[in-house]
Amino acid sequence: MANTTRRSLLRGVLGGATVAVGLPLLDCFLDGHGEALASGKPIPTRFGTWFWGCGVNEDRWFPSKLGADYDLKEELRPIAPYKDKVTVFSNFNCALGGRPNLVHWSGVMATLSGAAPIQGGVSGGSAEAPTIDCLVADHIGRGARFHSLEVACTGQSSVSYSMRAGSTVNPSEVDPISLYRRLFQTGFSDPNKGEFTPDPAIMLRQSVLSSVKDDRDDLIRGLGAADRQRVDQYFTSLRQVEQQLAMMLEKPAPAEACVLPMEPGKVELGPTWEMATRSHELLGQLVVMALACNQTRVFNVALSNAGSNLRKAGDPVSFHELTHEEAIDPKLGYQPKATFFIERSMETFASMLKMMDAVKEGSGTLLDHSLVLATSESNFAKIHSVDNLPIMVAGRAGGKWKSGQHVSGKGDPSSRVGLTIQQVLGMPVTSWGDAAMQTNKPISEVMA
Amino acid sequence: MSARRVRIRSVQLFRSSAIVLLATATVAGAVFGPVAGHLARAAGGEPATVGGAPGFRRLNEGQYLRTIEQVFGPGLKVPGRFEPPLREQGLMAIGDGKVVVSASGIEQYELRAREISAQVLSESRRGQVLSCAPKSLDAFDASCASEFFEKYGRLLYRRPLSAREMTSVLAVAEAATAQSHSFYTGLEAGLSRLLASPKFIFRVEGAEPDPQNPGAERLDAYSLASRISFLLWDAPPDAELLDAAARGDLYDRAKLEAQVDRLIASPRFEQGVRSFFSDMFGYEHFAGLTKDQAIYPKFTSALAKDAQEQALRTIVDLLVTQKGDYRDLFTTKKTFINRSLGALYKVAVPEAGMGDGWAPYTFAASDPRAGVLTLPGFLMLDPTHEGRSSPTIRGKAVRELFLCQQIPQPPANVDFSAVQNTADLMHKTARERLTIHVEDATCAGCHKLTDPIGLSMEHYDAVGAFRAKENGAPIDASGVFDGKPYADVIGLQILLRDNPTVPACLVQRTFEYGVGRAATPSEQAWLEYAAERFAGDKYQVPALMRRIATSAAFRSVAPEPAPAAKVRVAAAN
Repeated sequence: MANTTRRSLLRGVLGGATVAVGLPLLDCFLDGHGEALASGKPIPTRFGTWFWGCGVNEDRWFPSKLGADYDLKEELRPIAPYKDKVTVFSNFNCALGGRPNLVHWSGVMATLSGAAPIQGGVSGGSAEAPTIDCLVADHIGRGARFHSLEVACTGQSSVSYSMRAGSTVNPSEVDPISLYRRLFQTGFSDPNKGEFTPDPAIMLRQSVLSSVKDDRDDLIRGLGAADRQRVDQYFTSLRQVEQQLAMMLEKPAPAEACVLPMEPGKVELGPTWEMATRSHELLGQLVVMALACNQTRVFNVALSNAGSNLRKAGDPVSFHELTHEEAIDPKLGYQPKATFFIERSMETFASMLKMMDAVKEGSGTLLDHSLVLATSESNFAKIHSVDNLPIMVAGRAGGKWKSGQHVSGKGDPSSRVGLTIQQVLGMPVTSWGDAAMQTNKPISEVMA
Repeated sequence: MSARRVRIRSVQLFRSSAIVLLATATVAGAVFGPVAGHLARAAGGEPATVGGAPGFRRLNEGQYLRTIEQVFGPGLKVPGRFEPPLREQGLMAIGDGKVVVSASGIEQYELRAREISAQVLSESRRGQVLSCAPKSLDAFDASCASEFFEKYGRLLYRRPLSAREMTSVLAVAEAATAQSHSFYTGLEAGLSRLLASPKFIFRVEGAEPDPQNPGAERLDAYSLASRISFLLWDAPPDAELLDAAARGDLYDRAKLEAQVDRLIASPRFEQGVRSFFSDMFGYEHFAGLTKDQAIYPKFTSALAKDAQEQALRTIVDLLVTQKGDYRDLFTTKKTFINRSLGALYKVAVPEAGMGDGWAPYTFAASDPRAGVLTLPGFLMLDPTHEGRSSPTIRGKAVRELFLCQQIPQPPANVDFSAVQNTADLMHKTARERLTIHVEDATCAGCHKLTDPIGLSMEHYDAVGAFRAKENGAPIDASGVFDGKPYADVIGLQILLRDNPTVPACLVQRTFEYGVGRAATPSEQAWLEYAAERFAGDKYQVPALMRRIATSAAFRSVAPEPAPAAKVRVAAAN
């Protein structure tokens, strides 16, 4: 078997080399057409979000030409190798509808939750509705061990743009070692291993969690409406863990692209550019392998927080501060130091696409079987503008999404992107969003 | 919304006359309407209050760890990552009442539950926790199991288990015993079941009719016991306090006071004070705090930890050990240092501070350090600036943490171009850079509130080291606070020490920390009363905590959640 080779290659990747490695799905697992497994089950569709902070320079990021033949300006150039797999959206706005523009918060929550938030700001806030990853995970997340995975690259677990509504984020994994252990140590069963013996201890754990559910009724009795919802959230989360346990009792379906990686080495976590991109590389590889190994179908990557604290080592001023304080260079027409981070952010996004595109599945790649919604909270962070938000969707959802175009929203709310994603993923949603963000108009140009 | 309006909550009644009160009439009506009769009465001379909804608060990491240690003894390994905490309305203690648990959070709680149970019932420990032995090692023994769960269920849920709860946990233990053929594995499963319950992970408060005030509600005895012990120890009630609750002692003034005095006299009280000030002063930001080491070579995560410990030792020594005046926190020359802080201060560390130790240290009269605002634990605690000090953030911290005033966020469409000089990015000193903010009308409203205070601390860099100059230019730390001039941060702190808002803010925060929610308009009068008594108690913090813990305001609850209290106070400048 080729396993040894792939394993050692992967070890090389996680051990330090930065080259992504293609992992062909062996033909014997496929049905001959390359779009379904021999078991008859189609290759699953995955969904992810990829967030970067502090926006873009409008003139240097958005293509001028609409349609499939769109042009790549300086800041989007890193995605050139994947241009035909990326859809770029322009002129989709955060429609505030009278709500305040909460700096570094409104834009991202509007796009991801379909509702302009009422509370928040540069250090976070609350969501009026669940973010799209939660909705999608409720739909496609079952059947994988983890409902979804959240990772953040600057060492802070509170940096996450995945929320169930309210003010609690789904916290991010920040340490590659912890993420590795959670994914691939206790509780992981190799989908490509021949034999499978269910662990009886898991049944004990199931009976414990099942019994905890008895507590709901007398708990909610004395509580107000808001606290009842918090109790219900507890039990929703608990049921997700129960499903996780149930999965662990079943022999996993083979996933040929899945190769158990080696535990990553210890890395320093923090907001310098070097640390963050290193974390992104290691966390990204683990997320990609978690997808390939059917451990999850939904993921969220945050390169940094929205008021980005990314910083070059030795530089006293962070990306966020630069966007506000650095002068626009009259010759260049933009803020050179701040723009460094915009350009590098797009390179980092391209590196995520590279990792996903390197995993072969059927006649395509993991990226082809995914949709990755990438966005930021601002258009031009200097003035916190939330019109014309930078939004991309990478991947093809197994052929259901027509990728490789530039589509203009002509000033419509950015929730149209989220609505379209949900419909393409087969969710029975005809209308999405709240107040001025409400829409029932999917983006037909991308629907195959 | 005007950028100049400063949103300040309840206790701002104590603020100077330059501040105008804008109370929301509908809120006041909703709160006072149905219970006016109750409000007219006062309990033991205290102004009566309505209270808020009973709490449903998630244990924070420290509370969880302390509970395990208090219940099962020291030495247990508690694995896993805790969910990030949330600060709301100035306190994590209020955020604890808003947070939920995500799926990955449950995963961690379940993992912890199993690993704690396995250790508690390991061969080496089970003798300490069990007072009975099963009839057989491989069969279920209901009587021994009941004894175990009765004792530990009460300590973990902070009240006795109901019959239904006992049945549920015994069923889990019995089934697990049958499956594993091991009595202790069965107990482990049962204990895991208690530890995975939201009834353990959250502090669930219950209400009952208050016989002394017909029509009004109070916390039930066990909920009150928890409020008291978490306020004073930041840990759950011990067996003695639960016994007192069971006897109804906590509704008897003398017996209540005896319990509160017992808790304050306990060595655990120091932890309670540490926890409270860590919350009030935002010390959660020490976790993960970084500064650029190329710019601040002395900064390490160990130094950040030491700075936090130094501040807490200073607080505990003044307020608990010396029973000092809270306001002296702004002027005290007494602190503690260790090796790394000695290096930061460039002073010789006494013998006791060598190795891992801490030595008491008194700054010389000529030393430019005194008071909490010159401690590195205040000066470095800015998670948003890693390469420089920010007078705006420091000034904002003084207003928010010590004066309970909230500074609004900058407007979204603010144009910073005025702040920029295209020739050079940085003016030489922060004062020069920030002057531009104050000249711009849009920015001035807020920056006038924050920057003068923050600029008083510019003699200290982003990690708290002293500097006479910035970029070669001398630093001007003078300013005016509430109409009174000061030369530097030492002078500013003298003004803060004598400002009545400072102790009033502490009273408000301590009360809110204890009840886990923002004060309501119906509690204004009580807070004013408590602030007066605090002065009478010579501003001693243990006395303040005792007054709160024994008050009727602390235990009164409104069965239906009171509408969110909004008292707005606007600065009139």
